[in-house]
Amino acid sequence: MTKMIKVSIKNLYKIFGPAPQTALEFAKQGVEKNELMEKHGHVMGLKDINVDMKDGDITVIMGLSGSGKSTLIRHFNRLIEPTDGQILIDGVDVMTLSDDDLRKMRQTDMSMVFQKFALLPHKTVLENAGTALRIRGISANEADVEAIKWLDRVGLSGFENHYPSQLSGGMQQRVGIARALTSNAAVMLMDEAFSALDPLIRTDMQDLLLELQKELHKTIIFISHDLDEALKLADHLVILKDGEVIQQGEPQAILLNPADPYIENFVSDINRARVLRVRSVMHPLAEPSIKTVGQVDYNDTLESVISHSDGDTNKVYQVMKDEQAIGTICMKDLVRALVPRTPSDEGTQAA
Amino acid sequence: MAFYDSMFSTLGLQDWCGTTKQDGPMTMAQLLAKSNKTSEADTSLWDMPFPSLDNLHAACSAIPRTRDMTNGVEQFFLSIKSSLQFVLDPLTQPLSWLLDGTLWLFVATPWWLLISLTILAVYFTTRSKGAPLLVAITWLFLAFIDHYTYAVQTMAIIFICTGLSVLIGVPIGIAMSKYDRLQKSAIPVLDMLQTLPTFVYLIPLIFLFSVTESKLYGIAIILYAIVPVVRLTDLGIRLVDQDIIEAANAFGMTARQKLLNVELPLALPTIMAGVNQTIMMSLAMVVIASLVSAPGLGVLVLRGINNLELGVGLVSGFCIVILAILLDRVSKAALARVNVSHNSH
Repeated sequence: MTKMIKVSIKNLYKIFGPAPQTALEFAKQGVEKNELMEKHGHVMGLKDINVDMKDGDITVIMGLSGSGKSTLIRHFNRLIEPTDGQILIDGVDVMTLSDDDLRKMRQTDMSMVFQKFALLPHKTVLENAGTALRIRGISANEADVEAIKWLDRVGLSGFENHYPSQLSGGMQQRVGIARALTSNAAVMLMDEAFSALDPLIRTDMQDLLLELQKELHKTIIFISHDLDEALKLADHLVILKDGEVIQQGEPQAILLNPADPYIENFVSDINRARVLRVRSVMHPLAEPSIKTVGQVDYNDTLESVISHSDGDTNKVYQVMKDEQAIGTICMKDLVRALVPRTPSDEGTQAA
Repeated sequence: MAFYDSMFSTLGLQDWCGTTKQDGPMTMAQLLAKSNKTSEADTSLWDMPFPSLDNLHAACSAIPRTRDMTNGVEQFFLSIKSSLQFVLDPLTQPLSWLLDGTLWLFVATPWWLLISLTILAVYFTTRSKGAPLLVAITWLFLAFIDHYTYAVQTMAIIFICTGLSVLIGVPIGIAMSKYDRLQKSAIPVLDMLQTLPTFVYLIPLIFLFSVTESKLYGIAIILYAIVPVVRLTDLGIRLVDQDIIEAANAFGMTARQKLLNVELPLALPTIMAGVNQTIMMSLAMVVIASLVSAPGLGVLVLRGINNLELGVGLVSGFCIVILAILLDRVSKAALARVNVSHNSH
């Protein structure tokens, strides 16, 4: 089952400075970021970004501060204009839209959740949640009905007539999410939406998002600097460094096969037993003769398999998907997968 | 001859200056100068006069004297006066009607009605008990010492001029916040309006309009008092949280929706601070405007100065202070209410 590509970014460049077009030529000729800064006085924000986002997936764009991730997400709805490249949404190039069409696109096709919530302080929670509909000119009554529905869905019923300043950070961000959902847009942009919240609330919000996503199947583009968060949410993970995509793909695959020392360092601190799943470590059903001692689901975490096995590394389990055996998992492979690939020499030097 | 003669001759500018081409006979002064030439030539560097217009004119008559310059300014002003009047007179005439009408209305209203109406109005704008009480005490005191009519006239002028300042100033401030170029060119004008001595304002206005017309002081007060509300509207809109503006853009608000639903409401506390300043500056100007026939407490102050009636001047000055405190407290109470509804409803 292949999903449709909903949002696609092609050869996107963003260069900050007085004459970005000239600098763009240099960048395309392969001038590095440092050289572009020192010799030409331009900052390379994003360099040759190519990402496809599938319909109904959560794509997490991860990077440390300064990697250009917040710049990138603002390109999807053209809050920032790219220097060069294409942004396709359902096959339509956002760059070709007129001001009016762009505004319509922002009103109906995309919603956004912000790190600092960005709620209107002088409007009630209800009015805030209905913002998107009110902007479109839908009557206040209709907007309120829709807003009440989504506020209830994010667990804020009873707070409709409060003002944002009366709510805690977590609750304010729930309003932010309700505002995005009320707009009923298929694409949801989340700019470090949970970064300003404390860890426990953050976990709650992540669970809330996953739960909503199970029903709604939105195309979510999520920005994060937190790898745990990225691994928890992502169907597709894009890792940015200094404005370039250094690896993208399925999070499990990135964890098991980091493309370069930077990512190796990055993933080495992760609790792999909790993140890795059986399907990533198992052998496809090649040797049906092997004696198995039990069955595990292909989507189980390694942690649950370890607790199942009582720590015995000689066991082999049969991997099941929808009542069908699809492979085997050997405890020895499992334990080996728990040890991160040691960062190469370059990596240790860099660290 | 004059000190700078030699300079002009060295530069070969005698022809242009016309000193050598004199048609008529020599004047006595020139004769004298000629005979004293030897002694004049000895003027040392120590005694060198500053090359001002007058001193240069002595050497070269093509250069105008300072007197000619001031004359020129006057002539220029007089020459454009009629066309300026033709445009400005009808444009500003409604201001005269508005001021005269309001003055008449405020004075004609019975004292008990006006006092109760202002107390009610203050109560509904501030929703506090202190401010209306202060208003009541002030009015009763002013009425008791028979300064009521003067105070009402002052208030009427402030009321109209502040209202118009806000009506004109807020849109200008909004435009300034949207266009950087407009802001750059408007700031020097605002600086000038604010630093120009208040008397200097009145000079061109006296030329343009008759001193008996109310719009003369109306314009002077508005020009002087409009500055803070323009500045603070501009500042308030520029200071609106950029994250919220970004959210408004991300949800596709039009410029108009953004202005009405986001920028103006969020800038309101700052704009109100500007209105407070505008009110205080109108009060300052309305006193000075008594020089150009503005009625009110300023007239009494002026009488105090002109006739050396010390008591009249001091008492009316004290009344102005009371009015100032009153206006400041009431507008600040209104501002506080705006702030409260914004932050912790």
